[in-house]
Amino acid sequence: MSAVSHRTRLTVVPSYRIAVGRGLSILAALNIVAITLTAMGRSPVELAGLIVRSTVGSRFGIEDLALFMTPLMLTGAAVWVGIRVNLWNIGAEGQLYAGATAATAIGLFTNWPTLVALPSMIVAGMLAGAAWIFVPAAARAWLGVSEIVTSLLLNFVASLLVYYLATGPWADRVTGALASTERLHTAFPELWGAVHLGFILALATVIGLGIGLAKSRFGYETAVCGSNPQAAHYAGIGVAPRILAVLLLSGALAGLAGVFEVAGTVHRLQGGLANNYGYLGIVVALLARGSCLALIPAALLMALILDTGIVLQTTQISSSAVLAITGLLVLAIAAGDELAAYVRVNRT
Amino acid sequence: MSLKDLTRLPRRRALAALGSSLLLPSTLKAGAAERRFAPIREEDLLVGFGHTSPITDGGWSYAHNQGVEAMKRAYPAVKTLFVESVPYSADATRIFRQFVAEGAQMVISTSNYGDFIKDVADRAPNVAFMECDGHTVSNNLGWYYITHWYASYVIGIAAARLSKTGKLGYVASFPVPSVYASANAVLLGARSVNPNATMRVISINSWFDPQAATEAGAALVDSGCDFLCGIMDDPGYLRVAEKRGVWAAMWNTDMREFGPNAYVSSVTLDFADFYIQQVGARIRGEWGPEGRFLTLGKGVDRDRWGQNVPEAVQKEADAARDRMLAGWSPFQGPIYDSDGKLRVPPGHVMTDAEMYGWSWQVQGVSGLG
Repeated sequence: MSAVSHRTRLTVVPSYRIAVGRGLSILAALNIVAITLTAMGRSPVELAGLIVRSTVGSRFGIEDLALFMTPLMLTGAAVWVGIRVNLWNIGAEGQLYAGATAATAIGLFTNWPTLVALPSMIVAGMLAGAAWIFVPAAARAWLGVSEIVTSLLLNFVASLLVYYLATGPWADRVTGALASTERLHTAFPELWGAVHLGFILALATVIGLGIGLAKSRFGYETAVCGSNPQAAHYAGIGVAPRILAVLLLSGALAGLAGVFEVAGTVHRLQGGLANNYGYLGIVVALLARGSCLALIPAALLMALILDTGIVLQTTQISSSAVLAITGLLVLAIAAGDELAAYVRVNRT
Repeated sequence: MSLKDLTRLPRRRALAALGSSLLLPSTLKAGAAERRFAPIREEDLLVGFGHTSPITDGGWSYAHNQGVEAMKRAYPAVKTLFVESVPYSADATRIFRQFVAEGAQMVISTSNYGDFIKDVADRAPNVAFMECDGHTVSNNLGWYYITHWYASYVIGIAAARLSKTGKLGYVASFPVPSVYASANAVLLGARSVNPNATMRVISINSWFDPQAATEAGAALVDSGCDFLCGIMDDPGYLRVAEKRGVWAAMWNTDMREFGPNAYVSSVTLDFADFYIQQVGARIRGEWGPEGRFLTLGKGVDRDRWGQNVPEAVQKEADAARDRMLAGWSPFQGPIYDSDGKLRVPPGHVMTDAEMYGWSWQVQGVSGLG
């Protein structure tokens, strides 16, 4: 009687297995990076020390992490609410620009008191983000047009529109700043160094979203629509309006990221403002898997990678290296998640 | 910001007041403020440099890096950090913050980063910041720039003598003050010997785009220009001039190897003395934030003349250069803009600060703004 070892795939993977799998994946990815750096003649230990010191080990580093996390949590949430119901909003970048543009309009052309201007920016930015995805969302809901392509293409429209505004009609004539608008008249108050109120609001948004979707009827109905549209239809749930609503919510979240970025961190509308946060939101959402609250540590990990990229540049390692490291980490984590789903079963 | 003013500052002020009254004798505190840029040992000094393009660009960043290398020869124990191709975005802020986080006591950006560097300087009051082409002086942030318009004027005199058509072509980047000053100075120099000289400008929306610069140069020659100049990091339009048998003057460095027959001169940059002096001042504890122009012969100059530039032309242009070195300025009223409006009244000599903010083209220049 010999025990034969088999492996079987779990449908529901316990979170401790995911945690172990990801821990090992991240270690493996870091080892590959370290070996590559050694092959380039760099000392990985020295670089690792520098990275730790200047990210989590210094006041400036921690502030930067929070500043990176602010838009990443929201674009991550924007993508996440879509994935939850099998919809892919690849256009968070464009919706972020739309939100930033709306906030800029209020910041440049009004002199409202802060307590009026900031909430108005938030509302206008979220509406603009939702408006930017409205056509792809409606086309997906009623015509079945893939939202992946349409939302993606609108990113380029938004980016060029911002370049046009920042160098054309809204260009700064006061200080002659290159290719950007004048400084907004209002800003989100800074709480700790450069970390502004937007960070707390983004955290609160993610937590509120997680609780709201888990507890509300809307959350339940959209979840049903996502996992089985036909069942939803038989249950009397209107699928198309739910799809529209989820995508509009997604666009609004990305728009909110743009509001915080322009009125909290950058203070001027300019090309390149989105800094790929829209696309990185996809990575954050994938890392968070099924849990909305997991967006927070996922955004932290992404922020750490981005901050590492800045640190590495001061040692003459190309900024593209950080892209490669990001890709490697995501690949390793995907593999780790998959492996964590397999358990050994002993049969006699 | 008003919310911040209402809620944050009083508490901070209260804490500061508390701290100063309980922990520090007031005299000691005042002393600490004065010693903000206290002397520092050479081997302890770390200087961070942020460049706008790769230091191998053969132009602007290359010229700055030559200055950095000279500084390192003068102060071999000083440690430096640098980042190339710093974007004009919030990531620039992060890069400058990273310099501070790594312990830099001095941060120098070799191009204009506006708020992106000022935001960092405001939060790192003990670090000395310098911004090339900047416009802000604060407690710990200063700027420096070159008065390149004098060198451009000298080249303009040669341009008018060399050009048969009197039509000069200018390959520009953006309609910003440094470009206005450069183009205007060349034409004013040219008009001092040929009052009918004109200049046509094409902007290519980049400082470094060899293909666009080449196309712009060819278009200018096609439209009748027989002298090309501009403000580019690459020798693109010099190659055009060499091929088409017209003249060309360049910027940043000696580029004669790319068009030895067409080459007239270049606005050359030398930041070595300046960087040595600034770093030295920081070491001795004498550094202070200020706006500083590097003047003709002391950081900016015309390059050695090209092999085909006749000696008479060289002498005539250099005579103006000698007068400028002795203190004379050619930028005197009356100067009219391209709409014919009197901008500089007779008798007024434009200051360097005025030319640093030049935002209109002089009469005879077309296409810039």
